[in-house]
Amino acid sequence: MATRKKVLLKVIILGDSSVGKTSLMNQYVNKKFTNQYKATIGADFLTKEVMVDDRIVTMQVSKPAPGPNPLCASIWDTAGQERFQSLGVAFYRGADCCVLVFDVTSPGSFKSLDGWRDEFLIQASPSDPDHFPFVVLGNKVDLDNRAVSTKRAQQWCQSKNGLPYFETSAKEAVNVEQAFKTIARNALAQESDVELYNEFPDQIKLDGGSSDNRSSGGDNCAC
Amino acid sequence: MVNKIGYDMEETQETDTTTLISDINDIAIQDPVVSKSVTENEPVPSSSEQGSSYEILFDQLKEKNKHIFVLSTAGKPIYTRFGNENQMASLFGLMIALVSVTQDSNDTLQSICCGQTRIVFLNKDPLILVGVSQSSEPYDQIKKQLTYVYNNIISTLTLTQLKKIFHNRTNFDLRRLMSGSERLIDKLITFTENDPGFLLDSISCLQMPSSSRDKITQTILTQCSKIKNLVFGLLIAQKHVISIVRMKKYSLHVSDIHLILNLINSTESFKTAESWTPICLPTFDSSGYMHAHISYLAEDCQACLVLLTIDHNLFFTLSDAKRKITEKMRCNDCLHAINEAIIRQPISLARANITGLRHLLYKNKNRSQHWCPPFTSPYNTDELQQNLMSVYCSLISQINFPGRTLKVIFQQLTAETMLAWATEDVELYMTFEPLVSKECATNAVTKLTQWMKKEEDSLFIFNIPMF
Ligand SMILES: Nc1nc2c(ncn2[C@@H]2O[C@H](COP(=O)(O)OP(=O)(O)OP(=O)(O)O)[C@@H](O)[C@H]2O)c(=O)[nH]1
Ligand SMILES: [Mg+2]
Repeated sequence: MATRKKVLLKVIILGDSSVGKTSLMNQYVNKKFTNQYKATIGADFLTKEVMVDDRIVTMQVSKPAPGPNPLCASIWDTAGQERFQSLGVAFYRGADCCVLVFDVTSPGSFKSLDGWRDEFLIQASPSDPDHFPFVVLGNKVDLDNRAVSTKRAQQWCQSKNGLPYFETSAKEAVNVEQAFKTIARNALAQESDVELYNEFPDQIKLDGGSSDNRSSGGDNCAC
Repeated sequence: MVNKIGYDMEETQETDTTTLISDINDIAIQDPVVSKSVTENEPVPSSSEQGSSYEILFDQLKEKNKHIFVLSTAGKPIYTRFGNENQMASLFGLMIALVSVTQDSNDTLQSICCGQTRIVFLNKDPLILVGVSQSSEPYDQIKKQLTYVYNNIISTLTLTQLKKIFHNRTNFDLRRLMSGSERLIDKLITFTENDPGFLLDSISCLQMPSSSRDKITQTILTQCSKIKNLVFGLLIAQKHVISIVRMKKYSLHVSDIHLILNLINSTESFKTAESWTPICLPTFDSSGYMHAHISYLAEDCQACLVLLTIDHNLFFTLSDAKRKITEKMRCNDCLHAINEAIIRQPISLARANITGLRHLLYKNKNRSQHWCPPFTSPYNTDELQQNLMSVYCSLISQINFPGRTLKVIFQQLTAETMLAWATEDVELYMTFEPLVSKECATNAVTKLTQWMKKEEDSLFIFNIPMF
């Protein structure tokens, strides 16, 4: 279809408080960073148009011809602090990708990843939880006091069906662009893997007007 | 400024006392004061670029009086009346967050009021519809508009399909299946803003002598009654219905007819070719498609015949029936009668000859049909007509307020005097010149009722035969 709208992806960012979720998003979308910490309350939203040149994209029947595919990522940044988490199930539903963030200088934030992942799977209840696209980011690699090794993080990702893993610094813009490229690509794969819904539903059965709306004499019938 | 459902706060050791403002009323996106306070709280340059583009977006949105948004329960945009949905992705996220937070406390968010602005939410899982009105429309009115938009989406997809799609994939981007129907929704919203049929839950009929109408109806009936699985036949001239025939035990609901009228009046291509299109009539049966054979009678007769069947293999049968109907109508002068009636439209109120009466809406409640004469002086501009429609709208919602049994409302406004009059069978809304007395107005009701007795045969369709 020539008039197809740009694909819109819903990306949710989860992780402990102050691991740098908001900073990563701001670095990616606005190319800005601040040392100041402002706890996110509820959620923040940002959108960004991205180009993904991907084989997965062009293989889809309903997609335009091969070539760069403009799309729009809507990034839903959440609050890590427990007292600000009360967004409800509906908030997570229908996400195309979930980004799990930890702070490489904080072992605690790494241990929480399991919890965040489970929490997401329960709330969002995606149809195929084993293959839902998560992307894991180990943030703040610019700092010296590193406490979670690359190997340990990679092992965890491996144990969860091989989740993509990136070591990032929102502060120095290390790997942020690359990480979000992968996020967008995986989200898009999730979004576009769709059967065509063009089979007709069953024919209406005429039941002699026994159901309320069809029978005559009801409210607002032009009869 | 980032779009958010909470506020950013400076987090220091001492700010533990800071209260989280979570009252839904304070999160109103339309309220300029709120967005200003968010901006003030923004000492960091963080997302100011996106912030300013949002401000431009919101300024543009605020210029429009009425917004309608449709989103999936995942918060993915499906439709917006104005602007581009992708640019508003954050706004849609905000809406879903509001809905989600309320749901989490086992509640349903219905409406948010801030100043003149009213935001109405209609939760029709898997869709959420949101209406924003800045012109103090009643809640029920906005909710009904949202229901119409919802019905329009159902009419192209069926509820069964819609549920199936989102059951399989909550993240589905429904816009993929909606190309073309945005335009229909745009038109439908305009219809809900201007048409008395929407306010009164009724249809308008093409005025013609009842003898002519009966002949037309009989001609259609003769052809239709032979066809198995044909359920309804409808003849339409612009916004008016000429004739309806139906299968025994089934009847067409007004809101379904409104959808059909909107489809026909918004689709030019029906004028040039006979069409065969699946359409779900949500009130009749939201689970499946009807199949509509749609065609204008003839080059020289611009009335549109709609034949509705449950059988998707019936095209050629219906095409043949239509041809025979047109031939017969040409022979028995029905085409001529329709053309005459179309030329005579609209029927002016002046014929009733009631002094001081400027305009009226008359609803035959048993038939769900109404008569709305054309606006005459002083209602010469769109704005004045729109204002009068809002006055009607408010009277109609007062007369029909559930649980109340108001029969008469007399209102002296600055620009006009209004009288609403409801009986078992009739709802009547009359607009008089200002300073018209109550007696004068009630006398006018008597006079009009007498006049109606003579005219209603031609203004309304009383004969809707079955086969
Ligand atoms: N050195 C360094 N500091 C970072 C980095 N990313 C974030 N920070 C800092 O870490 C603190 C917390 O960052 P945020 O982005 O607000 O953390 P968050 O995950 O959004 O926290 P919550 O909103 O409470 O869930 C801030 O002071 C940031 O400046 C990074 O890559 N390197
Ligand atoms: Mg944050």
